Amino acid sequence: MFNLLAKFLKLLNGDASPGQISLGFAFALFVGLTPFFSLHNLIILFLVCVIRVNLGAFFLGSAVFTLIAFIVDPLMISVGESLLNNPDLTSLWTGLYQSDVWRAFKFNHTLLLGSVVTASVLFIPMVIVSRIIISVYRERLMKWFEKLQISKMIKASKFYKAYEKLGELS
Amino acid sequence: MMKWIRWSGLAGFVVVVGLIAALWLLAIGPLMKMAVEKYGSEAVGAQVNVEEISLGFSPLSLTITGVQVADKDAPMENLVSFDTAVATLEPFPLLLGHIIIPDVKLSGVGIGTTRQYSGALSFDSNEQQVEVEKDKLDEDTATENVTESDSTADSQVLPSADEILNRETLLTSVHGEAFEGAYKLHKKAIDDAISSLPNEQGLKNYEADLNRILKGKFKSVDDFKQRKKEFDALKAQFKKDKQAIADAKMAVKNGKADLEQKWSQLKDAPKQDLTNLKGKYTLDGVGASNLAALLFGEDVGGYAETALSYYEKLRPLLVDDEAKAEKQALLDQRLNGRLVHFKSDNPLPDFWIKTLSFSLTLPEFPQDSGSLGQVIVKVQDITQQQDVINAPIKLWVTGQNLKDISSLAITGVLDHRTSTGSDSFSLDLKQWQLNNLKLGVAGLTLLSSNTNVQGKVVFVDEQMNLVGKGLFNQTKFGSKKTNTFAKEMVAALKSVEQFTVSMSAEGAVTSPSVSLKSDLDNQLKVAFDQRLDEKQAELENKLKEKLNDKLLSYGGKYTEQLKALNLTEGSLKDKGKALEKLGKAKLSSYEDQLKAEAAAKEAEIRAKAEAEEQRAKEKLEAEKAKLKAEEERAKAKLEAEKAKAEAKAKAEAEEKRKELERKAKEKLKKIFG
Repeated sequence: MFNLLAKFLKLLNGDASPGQISLGFAFALFVGLTPFFSLHNLIILFLVCVIRVNLGAFFLGSAVFTLIAFIVDPLMISVGESLLNNPDLTSLWTGLYQSDVWRAFKFNHTLLLGSVVTASVLFIPMVIVSRIIISVYRERLMKWFEKLQISKMIKASKFYKAYEKLGELS
Repeated sequence: MMKWIRWSGLAGFVVVVGLIAALWLLAIGPLMKMAVEKYGSEAVGAQVNVEEISLGFSPLSLTITGVQVADKDAPMENLVSFDTAVATLEPFPLLLGHIIIPDVKLSGVGIGTTRQYSGALSFDSNEQQVEVEKDKLDEDTATENVTESDSTADSQVLPSADEILNRETLLTSVHGEAFEGAYKLHKKAIDDAISSLPNEQGLKNYEADLNRILKGKFKSVDDFKQRKKEFDALKAQFKKDKQAIADAKMAVKNGKADLEQKWSQLKDAPKQDLTNLKGKYTLDGVGASNLAALLFGEDVGGYAETALSYYEKLRPLLVDDEAKAEKQALLDQRLNGRLVHFKSDNPLPDFWIKTLSFSLTLPEFPQDSGSLGQVIVKVQDITQQQDVINAPIKLWVTGQNLKDISSLAITGVLDHRTSTGSDSFSLDLKQWQLNNLKLGVAGLTLLSSNTNVQGKVVFVDEQMNLVGKGLFNQTKFGSKKTNTFAKEMVAALKSVEQFTVSMSAEGAVTSPSVSLKSDLDNQLKVAFDQRLDEKQAELENKLKEKLNDKLLSYGGKYTEQLKALNLTEGSLKDKGKALEKLGKAKLSSYEDQLKAEAAAKEAEIRAKAEAEEQRAKEKLEAEKAKLKAEEERAKAKLEAEKAKAEAKAKAEAEEKRKELERKAKEKLKKIFG
């Protein structure tokens, strides 16, 4: 937990672009919320590697969203169930089901469909909201926060220093 | 726009994915080979060996070479083997873990080929080896029997008692061997246990030692210690011997119980054997079929048996109970999500071979006449999940380059879409020129015949129903034998130009009730009825005698041994009691001895005092009794006197009353008189 917090602070207080960080968080939604060993995650990993997304934010976000997924999985399943069993959408699903490519993506799996749809819906809001939060934090709260005792403690921790060194190296 | 692209990331991704793909491609062949060998062996119950599996890419295909599937029941033979199999694969279903094979072509297919090494699985290799040797022995015996039966069949219609006893698996032999084995085993265990028991002399020695230790008073503490040491040693030996006796008793008890049970089974076996054999080798409704079976040799039965054994081995592979259970478990695990299936023209079971084709060389029939030719086998929709593709497995076998056969067609439908499952096969064989087919009796040979065979068999839920018919045209019979019976038989058959043989079998696949009927039987039956009856009675008597002989050969010598076991058990009980008695003896300490002496004296004094006290008490009691008696007497006297006085007073009062009455009466007389 301390480790995660140190990582997060390092990210926020660093000079990485807020756009790249927020995009990293948004892509992390897919990897964290959906079952990891799925074909669509290969595409997500490809995009994360190719687009200048902040990798720290992506990995941090993936870890956080994976933890959240444990709690929200039943909700995702019910979203998937309702979509797959929706009579209005049956023709769409039946059409996709005829294709081996779509079936390779396991779109007909309740958890997978529910989580992918949720992640897709949250993608744009996540980019916008996290970008605003990071900008506001850096402009107004960063200096105040750095003065806090907890912030000093985290900064003094060996994790933070290690990340800082890693940041310098990269 | 370009500033958003991370070229190093793209290169990294390509390198990592490429490396993973390369590793996968290198490993997939050996991994698949391992998987096929492991899971194949588990499914078949014998070794499945694969020489090599390689992957091709245009189109995606697998080439499997050198496949041998060992026969579980005969590990030195292959159930099936082939040189090469080329299978095309559908790539996208593979990503989902579904192996969809549109087409498989096999070459060099062989059935029942010999293996260079045993195909038994390692955990039961010994057992399998024993079975192989047993099979070999059985085969040797069967061959000998066939030779013997050929020579003896000259003069008999039915097989001899010896032939039958050799041909059939007898319960008498099975139980006899079991009894013999058990007897040897128990005898060894009992002998071992008895060898560690003390003998009579040993028991006497114990008694003498015990008397020596316990007799007489201890002279000193050292004397006591010495005796105590000896006593402890003796006690330890007692304990050991007691345990040995208990062990021996247990061994005898177990042996006796087991042997008695096996003996009773062995005694009942000849009766059961006779009943079974009588049902099989008589000319009643069931028995007549066996005469036809004997006439047409064991070849037909042998091939039918082989076909059934292949079906038995194949059947478990058709029913995917495990997959069904997994499917149910998946439905139950809602929290992990589930796959929702939709109607599809492209269903995806876990494993599906859409088309499999190969050619196969037919066996010889009759024996030593060369192969009947080749057949092209085509199988469609091989999968364990027929409910997913909603289609049964279909089979077509078509003859090619056939020798002496105009056409051969076998079709099959293995339908396991529902839990019951139904497998059906049909055979249509036309214009089969049969030559020199040896028949089972009197050296008879079917010299030539133009034969048509049609048959259908349906298997439902491990039950089978077979109906088959063979039409033999332009038949000619002959016999090399010159005895009367052979001559009679050939003469009778000379007029027969056409006959049919109908076969039916129904019941459990493992033991169907088979019936083979022929109008040839009827013709022959009339001619030989009387002779058969005589032979039948003779055979039954012979069978009875032989079975009793067999029983005696197993059981005779052991009756005495069973009695001996009873005696041994009794003697062990006696020994146990003797030791028990000796073991109860106690050796007290030297102090205990002194204490005991003091206690004895004290007890003596106490007894004396108690006796005195008792005597005084008794005297006192006697006095008391005397006084009481006197008191009683006085009381009685007083009571008597009191009663006397009361009686007197009562008499006087009565007299007075009467006097008064008399006076009153006189007064009344005077007044009214």
